[in-house]
Amino acid sequence: MAAKAKVVNVRQKSLGKRLYQYRWVYLLGLPGLLLMLFFNYLPMRGLLMAFQNYNPHMGILGSEWVGLKHFQTLFKDAKFYSMLRNTLVISGLNLLTFPAPIILALILNEVRNAKFKKFIQTSVYLPHFLSWTIVASLTFFLLSSEQGVINKIAIALGGEAHAYLFDTKAIYPIIVIQSLWKGIGWGSIVYLAAIAGVDQSLYEAARMDGATKLQCMIKITIPSIMPTIVVMLILKMGSIVSVDFEQVFLMNNAMVKKQLEVFEIYIYNNGIAGGSTQYSYTTAIGMFKSVINTSLVILTNWITNRKGYEGIM
Amino acid sequence: MAREKAVNKKMGMKMKENIYQVILWIILLLIAATMVLPFLYVIMVSFTDSSVYVAGSFYLWPKKWSTDAYQLILSGAGFLNALKSTLFITLIGTPLNVLVCAGLAYLLSKPVPGKKFFNKYVMITMLFGAGMIPNFMNMKALGLMDSYFACILPSVCGAWTVMVMRSFFQSLPIELEEAAEIDGCGQLKMFGIIVLPLSKAMLASMTLFAFVSYWNTYFSAIMYLTSTTKAPLQVYVQKIVLSSTVSDVVDLQLDLAKTVPQEVMRMAAVVVVVLPVLIVYPFLQKYFASGMMVGAVKG
Repeated sequence: MAAKAKVVNVRQKSLGKRLYQYRWVYLLGLPGLLLMLFFNYLPMRGLLMAFQNYNPHMGILGSEWVGLKHFQTLFKDAKFYSMLRNTLVISGLNLLTFPAPIILALILNEVRNAKFKKFIQTSVYLPHFLSWTIVASLTFFLLSSEQGVINKIAIALGGEAHAYLFDTKAIYPIIVIQSLWKGIGWGSIVYLAAIAGVDQSLYEAARMDGATKLQCMIKITIPSIMPTIVVMLILKMGSIVSVDFEQVFLMNNAMVKKQLEVFEIYIYNNGIAGGSTQYSYTTAIGMFKSVINTSLVILTNWITNRKGYEGIM
Repeated sequence: MAREKAVNKKMGMKMKENIYQVILWIILLLIAATMVLPFLYVIMVSFTDSSVYVAGSFYLWPKKWSTDAYQLILSGAGFLNALKSTLFITLIGTPLNVLVCAGLAYLLSKPVPGKKFFNKYVMITMLFGAGMIPNFMNMKALGLMDSYFACILPSVCGAWTVMVMRSFFQSLPIELEEAAEIDGCGQLKMFGIIVLPLSKAMLASMTLFAFVSYWNTYFSAIMYLTSTTKAPLQVYVQKIVLSSTVSDVVDLQLDLAKTVPQEVMRMAAVVVVVLPVLIVYPFLQKYFASGMMVGAVKG
């Protein structure tokens, strides 16, 4: 009530007075607003390059305009479809692991011993804070043909070494397992918080009626945390045409180049690395990706709201 | 009879519950093992003395301990350069990130004119990014190529951090600020001596998040830092592990270089680079449990 009264009070003053009243608060926010302007909004002018034959010497204003030419080339490019396929395979496989953090949270929630629970949580959250270079290094130590633990064990048991990191069939599972390993613990935090918020009297009532643990989980816990699951799914949908650049970049090698050529890698190789100058074409690819991402978030959010769940916006 | 049956049933249930717990423990221990064992292995190998090292075998416990690999790495020019870069990026970036985000979050938490616009302004950066090439061109246009600030500034003001801080500021009791206002406390002073001290725990966790993310700087470094001497630690460790000639990366003048096995050097490099994250991690962990993250997502 007090807050409401204050708002009304504030509204009665003229705009100029209110702006003046908050002048120092604006000043506090200014650096952040400026940084976002310079590093989030200003780069967007570069999107114009997607509609030009961009020439670095002429700049954005002086370059020749070509309309949708690059997008037309893009949709005819066989490479585009192979990149799209690779991306969708990786995100699709990643999407299969979406329930993993939920299951981990449900299991953690059943553990009685608080100390043990804490210990497990400490271990499973850790990988989230490791850089992809460290994760890639650990993968190398595990799978490399000469120094990898798995191959050392295989040889000790009389088997043969296998170059997993160069195996075109193994590379997708490796990428997905890396993501799962890095994200499962961190992903479970949101669900644990949601489970902790479930009304305990529901469980008591269910137990009175003789419900088993499994029944409680399926009939009470999961429906109660559904809104959280939906929000997380929306956020995930937004990145369905994105792959973690650092991860794929680090796992890339000559043998699996074809499997791991996704949009980001192509953009980097042809727009930035090694003096390449396909600025306009690679900008068009990036823009295509961003537009799809944003549309997917907005679309899934809209559907969610219509289905009666609360979305993110 | 009836009573005996009831007792039996109760014991049966207890038994069942215990078995259930044991199964849960086993599953969780297996998951945790995949996270903990790789580090133990890397640490063990990194301390293995070259005299007992045999290529192709693996070590759960070194027969003879040695810190040669660490001495080599820590004395190499390659490491010292990389450390300098990472320290610069981390030590400038972290406080800047926390202060700038807190300032903007405070603005968003107040009933200021234009509040709706500012909220959208921050949210849009979460939804839509310009992409790699436009960002790269922008960095060139701003004259920040090959400057550490190219790795620092773009991530100083992140929408996620701002939103987390905003919901925290909104949850602070408004009466305190009202009382201070009546006492004639200015807005800057209010922010500095009332709001920030009240948010110490939240700011501490945000500081650690920022620290870890700057420490892990990799992609922006390969994009924007063109001089090889400016490459930060993550680039260094990537080169050591994935390149074939470790001694070049380490940049050694010592004869010892030839005696320490490559594998041991690699593992020691990983340990050195990951150590600071492992050290701050327990402090970071204190703040996870709260619903902070959920609140941020739901804005």
